[in-house]
Amino acid sequence: MQTIRLKLKEEITSGIAKIPVEVDSLTPDKLFGKNEAEIKAVKVWWGNKEENTGDLFDVSVEGEAASADEVKIVMEGDLSRVKHIGDGMKAGEIEALGDVDMHCGAMMQGGRVTVKGNADCWAGREMRGGELIIEGDAGDNLCAMYRGEMTGMTGGKVTVGGDAGECVGQYMAGGEILIKGNAGILTGLNMKGGKITIEGDAIMPGADMTGGEITVKGKVRDMMPSFKFVETATIEGEEYKKYLGDLAMMEKRAKGVLYVK
Amino acid sequence: MVEELLIRNGVVYDPINGVNGEKKDICIRDGKVVEEVRNPKVIDAEGRVVMPGGVDIHAHIAGGKVNAGRLFRPEDGRKGREAKTKVCRAQSGYSVPNTFATGYRYAKMGYTFVMEAAMPPLAARHTHEEIVDIPILDNAALPLIDNNWMTMEYVKSGDTDLLAAYIAWMVKATKGYGVKVVNPGGTEAWAWAKNCDLNDAVPYFDVTPAEIVKGLAEATEKFEMPHSIHVHGNMLGHPGNYEVTTSTYDLVKGIKPYRDRPTMHATHTQFHSYGGTTWADFESKAGAIADYVNKNEHVSIDLGSVILGDTTTMTADGPMEYSLYQITGRKWTNHDVELETGSGITPFLYSGKVSVHTIQWAIGQELALLIKDPWKLALTTDHPNAGPFIGYPIIISMLMSKRRRDESAEDMHSAIYKRAELPSIDREYDLNEIAIITRGMAAKTLGLHEHGKGHLGVGADGDVAIYDLSPEEREAGKIQKAFLNTKYTIKGGEVVVKDGEVVAAPAGKTYFVTPECDEKLTEEMMTHLKDKFEHYYSVTFNNYPVQDAYVPNPYEIKAPWRS
Repeated sequence: MQTIRLKLKEEITSGIAKIPVEVDSLTPDKLFGKNEAEIKAVKVWWGNKEENTGDLFDVSVEGEAASADEVKIVMEGDLSRVKHIGDGMKAGEIEALGDVDMHCGAMMQGGRVTVKGNADCWAGREMRGGELIIEGDAGDNLCAMYRGEMTGMTGGKVTVGGDAGECVGQYMAGGEILIKGNAGILTGLNMKGGKITIEGDAIMPGADMTGGEITVKGKVRDMMPSFKFVETATIEGEEYKKYLGDLAMMEKRAKGVLYVK
Repeated sequence: MVEELLIRNGVVYDPINGVNGEKKDICIRDGKVVEEVRNPKVIDAEGRVVMPGGVDIHAHIAGGKVNAGRLFRPEDGRKGREAKTKVCRAQSGYSVPNTFATGYRYAKMGYTFVMEAAMPPLAARHTHEEIVDIPILDNAALPLIDNNWMTMEYVKSGDTDLLAAYIAWMVKATKGYGVKVVNPGGTEAWAWAKNCDLNDAVPYFDVTPAEIVKGLAEATEKFEMPHSIHVHGNMLGHPGNYEVTTSTYDLVKGIKPYRDRPTMHATHTQFHSYGGTTWADFESKAGAIADYVNKNEHVSIDLGSVILGDTTTMTADGPMEYSLYQITGRKWTNHDVELETGSGITPFLYSGKVSVHTIQWAIGQELALLIKDPWKLALTTDHPNAGPFIGYPIIISMLMSKRRRDESAEDMHSAIYKRAELPSIDREYDLNEIAIITRGMAAKTLGLHEHGKGHLGVGADGDVAIYDLSPEEREAGKIQKAFLNTKYTIKGGEVVVKDGEVVAAPAGKTYFVTPECDEKLTEEMMTHLKDKFEHYYSVTFNNYPVQDAYVPNPYEIKAPWRS
């Protein structure tokens, strides 16, 4: 097992502008096999400048790894302006100790990212595999697609300990999302596949969905009128109404399933 | 200081001057081809293919709808991203690349001139602003003059001279190059939620598209215009439209052109060569179109050849974009340009697994292979409608290799063997024919060969493409690679691309035509035109014409009235 500690230097994002750092080059699979000096030389973007990791982060490496799966990156310091943590990652583990900026776990293919705080918008964007755990709240567009694309998350598992923002899982086609708190407006917008569970409340879930499954354990506000009641179903001992929709997408394409209480 | 360049020992293909693969030196002084040089910088092109800079006769690279396409497809902007360098600005986009990427990528393919094929007159300023932002390339733009209320009223009243005066004013006011026709009458009908076939009456105006085309061709030929009318006919993209296409060609048969060029350039002919009655029995009629073009001299075409994959379709043919949107259900946007034209945009995916797309893909190449005289056709993809211009090298390699066509057909929908002719055609293009359809023909048809484009004769512009390709090379993959990134591209005597990298990005020139019209005639037309501005336009007459400041590197071509 190898642990790479990356502590963001305080002065980097302490200015008035709080210039963001983009760290998609710092994933376990990309750092595997590198020694401390080599890791310090990996390029990361700081605003519009490419800098050495060692200039922005205090770097320390402990232990050895036989593969990327055995590499764990621990990110510390004020990460609220650190973007793309775990973006495109294929294996291993990242632990972010604090709130993180946008695109955390975007395009992720494997491994695990744990955020010990809140994650800003676009976490898990177009995620294909692996696991993303956000212990706090998630921003908007969690597991959605990039603007204009027609496919969002296709695989993997995402857990949010708190609330999530708008448009969770937009154009989602596969994978699983669990939100322990409430979700904002339009969860599962244009959803085509996969599964979303919301333990709290939701607003207008499932709009324009053509496939996949959404379960809302709390209250649903402004239920879409374009869903058709099918039957009552029992999930984990509780009774739910099962709806099919969204009929606004034409009846034969309305294959989305929505469970509400 | 005199700048001299000598390109030594290249194998030169300069079809306008009848040079077909000769080992030859090219001398350039102060940006122009000359007989000899004294103290030049030398480029050794030993054994490599050398051609004049490429000339694209039809592409959508600047203006309102191209920019709307960029705004409306952020997912396209994710592709092709390259950070700025010391020479290049940041690049993005694939089917709707930003202006910088447009210039660099064309230059890397050895092109030095591109015609923006559809400029809505009201958006002419925007078009020129973007043209200024396209590095390296020389450009021109064709204003849309066919669905204009003034045009239709003059066609209706039969005043060809007044129509000519209007064309002259419009081409001057927009700093345009000629007369573009897009779904004549149909785009205006679209404002009434209708479309027009060739002989349908346009709502309210009560003229037919056929009358519009004929009227515009006659009026255009009143001047010594370098280019004929440039026509996107009616019923584009509809099964069974090939008869409309040949009927449209027939309209201008008797009209005498001002010089030895056709009276009509019919663009993206692939979209106009369809048989069948529905998408179910859709088939290629490239043979019928090629037969017509082979037998007649008054029409030239460009291919509009399909590149498989994702693209963004955009045209002033608003009703056509709506039909396409109804097929795909993808996003769609539509725009009306008051008194003049309209437009629509929708993304499209050409898939080799779909029968219709496969046949479309075949038709573009069939046209090139069945038309005997390459001087009658130009290579285009109607960028980005049938595919992005960056796909030209793919088409070149297909035309040059029967084997590559056969291998591709095997992976595609079997409809290609039943409802297209391509698999049965053995013809292969040689490099001279490629040089004709990628530079010579376009330059001649646009009249630009008289202004130094598309050839390497003494006095021509020092625009040269040197491909890392031996003339004997037959392997399609290597041909494609060579045509995508030149060894050198030279623009006006300056090396702009070296080993596939952009090394200099000078500003290009804007070519425009000034038709010269009789004053009395202009005055009479002006009373009608000012009335339109007073009553209908949302801008005033004085604010309409594009000022000189929008064309910082002008190249004016005068077109006197024919006596």
